[in-house]
Amino acid sequence: MTVVVAVVVLVVAIATYLTWLASRLDRLANRVDATRAGLVAQLTARADAARTFARSCGLDDLAIAAERARAGHATLLAEAALDATAEDAENALSRALRSPAVALAVGRAAPGDVHAMDAAAARVALARQFHNDAVGDVRSLAGRRLVRLMHLSGRRPLPAYFEIDDAPPVREDGPPRPESSAEVSGP
Amino acid sequence: MKIGLACPYTWDVPGGVQAHVRDLAETLLDAGHDVSVITPVDDESTLPPYAVDAGRAVPVPYNGSVARLLMGPVSAARVRRWLREHDFDVLHAHEPTAPSVSLLACMLADGPLVATFHTANPRSRFLTAAQSALQPSLEKLRARIAVSEAARRTLVEHLGAGAILIPNGVAVRAFEGARPLPRYRPVAGVGDDDGGGGAEGRGAEGGGSPREDGPVVVFLGRIDEPRKGLDVLMAAFPLLVEQVPDARLLVAGPGDTEAVRSRIDPSLLGRVDLIGLVPEADKAAVFASGSVYCAPNTGQESFGIVLLEAMAAGTPVVASDIDAFRRVLDDGRAGRLFGVGEPAELAARLAELLRDPAERARLVERGRAVVARYDWRVVAQRIVGVYEMVSGDSPVSVAADDT
Repeated sequence: MTVVVAVVVLVVAIATYLTWLASRLDRLANRVDATRAGLVAQLTARADAARTFARSCGLDDLAIAAERARAGHATLLAEAALDATAEDAENALSRALRSPAVALAVGRAAPGDVHAMDAAAARVALARQFHNDAVGDVRSLAGRRLVRLMHLSGRRPLPAYFEIDDAPPVREDGPPRPESSAEVSGP
Repeated sequence: MKIGLACPYTWDVPGGVQAHVRDLAETLLDAGHDVSVITPVDDESTLPPYAVDAGRAVPVPYNGSVARLLMGPVSAARVRRWLREHDFDVLHAHEPTAPSVSLLACMLADGPLVATFHTANPRSRFLTAAQSALQPSLEKLRARIAVSEAARRTLVEHLGAGAILIPNGVAVRAFEGARPLPRYRPVAGVGDDDGGGGAEGRGAEGGGSPREDGPVVVFLGRIDEPRKGLDVLMAAFPLLVEQVPDARLLVAGPGDTEAVRSRIDPSLLGRVDLIGLVPEADKAAVFASGSVYCAPNTGQESFGIVLLEAMAAGTPVVASDIDAFRRVLDDGRAGRLFGVGEPAELAARLAELLRDPAERARLVERGRAVVARYDWRVVAQRIVGVYEMVSGDSPVSVAADDT
């Protein structure tokens, strides 16, 4: 009798632990989805701001980079993978945003357009950090032997980090921000 | 926006995290947000109207000081009720690695969670040991904020978690236009009749109007904590007096003032004013009483908030050349730096500044520009930017499984 009770208690304990692990993985998957959506939204906002700026200043290279990035966002919004193709397009846009042509145009552009473009670029860096933090947390939990053995992640594929160069442009007249790599500004 | 802030340490015990939460809450309220704070407190009557009592924290000796902690079913029930009653758009937990209200809130809540990490501790045995216990709560956080590069590094090294950097804010308004302590006010009729223009009045007075006696060097900090470096300043002072014969020294901060007095050369005693602990409300006046504020710290500080407060009060700064101070002082452009623990160099820097009102005025101007970036109104806006990025889909709820 005692043996039966002990076995039942043990089975219940193990089942509870596994359920708890599975619920953590579920919650993490939701967090990855939410941060991914946030990242795509910020990438879209950055490309839109860059396109607006490029049009008002007649910057063809920036306009092309923005259009190319923007073209990929349709599939990203439809849950396509944030893969190397997307990374290449965003890297090209980051480089275009830092190009000397843009730096020159900033001087004669409307301050509001410049601020919108820079703020959008800074938000991309933050959104990417939030996304990659979530990915890192999933990968560390999903990598545990017990989780793999029991297939607790179900059929969910392991999410990938989104690695791009999102260093924001440096503006000479802007206030230096030694404490931060990125700036967020509210509305 | 409906914002819930969780503070882990006892509200009515002075501390950096508590001050941060209070200033953030009040700045957010001023900006029109709906804010509620939950915190441990000893005397409930000290709580402002926007704060909720989570219970009394238990003092636990830890790492040479006393940590006051709060975990248990009663506080858990209070946190749960607080979450249910408010329906927050975002929950912002401060220092959720401390076993207290913030960690409880992270354990009990689900949804848009943000946390700020304050502590810089390169070798925390507690964090290393607690890592796997903390992980389930920390992995709920949609955004992690560190207040300094050192705090961010602590997080990466101990918990393998990334974070964005948003510095501490300074309540600039509480320091702007500060007036000196009564006995340090300029002689009546010379600088005193400047009416409302307090800050400008002080700037002009730096241009040469007479004081009762000579220029004043201010120190503010624990006087018996070696890392605050009062000993360095005390060793520099006689050297300074050789170069600036009418220099005076104002020392404010808690500790054994008699022990400090007994070590001062009797011939200099008349120039040294030891006023002991000053209430928070008088800090601005202490800074404003000085021609120069001196921060001779010898230990690593994670963030030079006291420097920013002095600059906000319009007092130029001379500080030791440690990482955090160099960063705040813009590599020496917004204040003078001297070699850590070098009294002769400190005396030379102080003498240069005390003899050069124009340079002091320049440093005050540059200091103002630096302080503007740390103004709570600016910092809080950056934090709200983070709230907006992580919230939206659904409000904060009580987690179904309470983990």
